[in-house]
Amino acid sequence: MIEVINISKTLPNGKKLLDNISFKVKKGEFVGILGASGAGKTLTLRSLNGLLKPDSGSVIFKNELGEKVNICTLSNKKLRKVRQKIGVIFQGYHLVQRLSVLENVMIGRLGSITTFRSIFYGFTDAEAHEAMGALEKVNMEHLANNKVSSLSGGEKQRVGIARAIFQKPNLLLADEPISNLDPKNAKLIMKLIKPLSEEIPVIGVFHQPEMTAKYCTRVIAIKEGKIIYDGKPNLSEDQLSEIYGEELSTLALQAK
Amino acid sequence: MKIAEFKISRYKNIVLPLGGLIFLTFLASKSCKIDFSDFGEGIVNGTFFIAKMFPPDWAAFPEMLQPTFDTILLALLGTFFGTILSLFIAFFAAANLSNPWVRNITRSLISIERSIPELFILLILITAFGLGAVPAIIAIALGCVGMLGKLLADTIEDIPPTLMDSVASIGANKIQIIAFAVMPEIIPNLISYALFRFEVNIRLSVLLGAIGAGGIGYELENSFSLLEYHRAFSALIIVLVLVFSIERLSSFFRNKLKNAIVLK
Repeated sequence: MIEVINISKTLPNGKKLLDNISFKVKKGEFVGILGASGAGKTLTLRSLNGLLKPDSGSVIFKNELGEKVNICTLSNKKLRKVRQKIGVIFQGYHLVQRLSVLENVMIGRLGSITTFRSIFYGFTDAEAHEAMGALEKVNMEHLANNKVSSLSGGEKQRVGIARAIFQKPNLLLADEPISNLDPKNAKLIMKLIKPLSEEIPVIGVFHQPEMTAKYCTRVIAIKEGKIIYDGKPNLSEDQLSEIYGEELSTLALQAK
Repeated sequence: MKIAEFKISRYKNIVLPLGGLIFLTFLASKSCKIDFSDFGEGIVNGTFFIAKMFPPDWAAFPEMLQPTFDTILLALLGTFFGTILSLFIAFFAAANLSNPWVRNITRSLISIERSIPELFILLILITAFGLGAVPAIIAIALGCVGMLGKLLADTIEDIPPTLMDSVASIGANKIQIIAFAVMPEIIPNLISYALFRFEVNIRLSVLLGAIGAGGIGYELENSFSLLEYHRAFSALIIVLVLVFSIERLSSFFRNKLKNAIVLK
């Protein structure tokens, strides 16, 4: 469970990047954040795991013990502790190219093992089996020993999902996970993310309204740092043109 | 009209800079009191001197094997410790691992090191450690920092930010980020730079040997000062073969690594 209360972020020149953003996401929800480029989608997502510190407001995360912590005010050490429980799937280069697929999945648990053990690759056999299990869930077990650099974009994103599964998070964030994929792979990735939302809240930033309409349970639209829509995933033409403005025509071209 | 413009641009781009350069060279040689007739005389003297050195002292080759080996070891140890030291410093000099203040101070220190000749470092170290291999190894190792520290820090800064964010998002600490995101990404570059520096350090090791670190450089210098020119010629041949073969070897391995870097 995660609750965002009135977060704002302003640039030194006075430009408001985030303006009083508030929402609450529960278990079972798959939230898609939509918005034009530069609207503040990714910034909102980044503040959910402390990669961005908002100027004001708070992000309340409830961990498995039921304790509520404010991610915005945590010390680095405590923030790392919280991050162990937040899985993130990024766009593009977010895997270690020179390590194998299996090693990349195991990196998902770096936060919860000691530095000494991690440096000497001290993962137990049980953990290795679990990592293989996570790879099986995304149909990548046959490539476990290949280097990530040899994979295609869709395969890399599946490894990212396997890493998030292996991490056993209480919240999953996805930053444009399908933006540089072809439609077929994009659907595949969405189908893999969807079932995860039955157990934990999933929040993703997307550029494809047709995808969020199909897979998400809720859509939040952001424009110029403000939430302008929060509700059912099916958006009308008018709503879309309000969200995207002039960008809509290019978006329609992409969808074709 | 076009042709007139072309003439002017040609004059501006070629004739003017070239004339300026010749004029500056003339001024510089005047101010340093260089007499160009010395050149001719020097070339004649040099040719006679090389003729005097010929043939090399064949008997000296076997006894020079040990000093040659010492020179290689000196360069090898210096490069090894220097690379480790540079890597450690590079972590502080990379913007994506350290804070802006630490980064800028470390970068300045690296630049300062680059401006100090290794010979100077050795002379200071000799007063502290006395003659021998230890000050030379330290001098070579410190000499690596100026070049390797900067190159490695730049390589670390080139790591995609999403990769750093993605490993940090898992809850990894700095050391884990270095071990799992930074090191695997920079290893091919690290080896390539270290090999290149090893080439430089072989030449440096010969030079430092001449001023008291031992090895083939000392043999060369010693033979010259004892006026044993044939022996000096043998040492010179060994130095040439050594430097040439190390350079070939290093560039062979670096070319192999280049594929790994490009195909990332």
